[in-house]
Amino acid sequence: MNRGNKRLRGAFLDLLTILLLGLVLLPIIWVFVASIRPDADIMSRSLIPMQITFDHFAEIFSRGDFLVALRNSLIVGSLVAVCTVLIAVPAAYSLSRFTYLGRDFIGFLILATQMLPAVAVLVPLVVIIRSLGLANTLTALTFTHLALGLPIAVWMLKGYIDAVPRELEEAAVIDGSSQLGAMVRITLPLIRPAVVAVGTFAFVLSWGEFLLALALITSAEVKTLPLALQTLFDPYSFSWGVVMAGGVVIAAPTVVLFLLFRNQLVGGLTAGGIKG
Amino acid sequence: MSTSAHVHVPRAFGKASLPYALVAPAILVALAIAVLPLLYALWLSFQDWYLLRNPQPVWGGLVNFEALLTDGALWRAFWRTWVWTLGTVAVEIALALPLALLLNRDTTIARLASALILLPWVMPFIVLGYGWRFLLDSEVGALHALLQFFGIAGNSSILNDPNLALAVITFISGWKGMPFMVLALLAALKSIPDELYEAAAIDGAGPWQRFASITLPSIQNTMLIIGLVLGILAFYSFDLPWIMARGGPQDATTILGITMFKAVFTDLRPAYAAAISVVMLAILAAASFLTLKLGRLP
Repeated sequence: MNRGNKRLRGAFLDLLTILLLGLVLLPIIWVFVASIRPDADIMSRSLIPMQITFDHFAEIFSRGDFLVALRNSLIVGSLVAVCTVLIAVPAAYSLSRFTYLGRDFIGFLILATQMLPAVAVLVPLVVIIRSLGLANTLTALTFTHLALGLPIAVWMLKGYIDAVPRELEEAAVIDGSSQLGAMVRITLPLIRPAVVAVGTFAFVLSWGEFLLALALITSAEVKTLPLALQTLFDPYSFSWGVVMAGGVVIAAPTVVLFLLFRNQLVGGLTAGGIKG
Repeated sequence: MSTSAHVHVPRAFGKASLPYALVAPAILVALAIAVLPLLYALWLSFQDWYLLRNPQPVWGGLVNFEALLTDGALWRAFWRTWVWTLGTVAVEIALALPLALLLNRDTTIARLASALILLPWVMPFIVLGYGWRFLLDSEVGALHALLQFFGIAGNSSILNDPNLALAVITFISGWKGMPFMVLALLAALKSIPDELYEAAAIDGAGPWQRFASITLPSIQNTMLIIGLVLGILAFYSFDLPWIMARGGPQDATTILGITMFKAVFTDLRPAYAAAISVVMLAILAAASFLTLKLGRLP
């Protein structure tokens, strides 16, 4: 009887979990649902769509300004992902494999940049970038977006490299390889999933970033997606369906990343949050 | 500790400069995007630089700091930011604690749910901001209809109500940050040994007693640290109140991040904005220090 009670309690708690989770995620679900229903149907204010349409997506993908923003976001995001990986892998390797003067301080400095919110450095960054003549360029945006994912990338990769036994590399060095050669041929393939995760993570952070883009970009030809979503808000005639479809396009890589790399993501979040 | 020092004996391969060369690009980025701007902001805060009057900064000493002491709108934004910060953290804890307790079970559904609950945290602000604006819209918003039914909202959206806009956006800010707290609390809950609960049950402790004497003491440190991290993020917020209300209606959601942004881009006073960010950093350092100090007390 006690056992039956326990199972009943478990089932009840599972049901409660599903209910509460649905409630917590409802605003996000609503965005996705609204993006695929006609505006007249949205007016009904119910969650369940009566009609399904992909017109909103067709409309945003036929808009020139949205396509330009899509291209810009792809360029910036890809560059940020590649640069983050190229900078983070050697840095993580250095922090993991060597003992040297200042190593702990360097590790702290890199992690501290993660803790620094963008608002705290916004004013000086904008002034510096303007005086360099780089306002309204994707170069400046790419460079500032590096700060979003780089510190977490270094710390996550350091953890993975720590877990690779250095004896593997030493064996390769005895066989006549240089240490960097051993890193590229032995360690790098072993941590490849983490490298891919870190790169995707950096891409997604740049893809959705709003404040730096808002502060650095004003001209239409270099706008990124979050800024383009704002321009969909034509005060005289705008459709909530179209705005929500734009939101889904911005959210999509995040969802994909989330489904693919959930475990690495959780590890990264805790590393960035708790160790700091 | 001593064993790790043993393992990491420097080996004789590579030059001594190799580790520095490998880490140099990452240091360069940290210097360029964090250290240099902070130092520059400090220098800038002592300049007199109003773009409509003088195109180049000139030394102004404490002129910006004197100005911000008498700036009434800034002071209102300052207190509003504390309400916003503490409110956000309070909502985060209030939502996260029951959820973490509920998810701390070893069932398929609990595992799946503890993954999906992260979605608000990882979604970009711009998507969530517009999503909530949509829900609260007076013409199409489902949530607006509900609030109207309960008499909380009138015919206009609650976001246009100067008294309620800050409260509702604070709640949304807490909702977005809550998953991070859930994640941390779950990790803390999972590290409590089951024996403690079994022993307490044998001693006849009820569920509430067990929560107060075992669960709470084991997770309060995590709650403090993560609350501090989330509090810092909230103190430096910009995206949500900007996207949802542009700091309005009537400055009702203008927190310091927005004041600073407007000081540069609307008022064209970058040096004044830099002074605000220097003061924010100093306040934050002091508040963090105090929180951690109080947390150490028994």
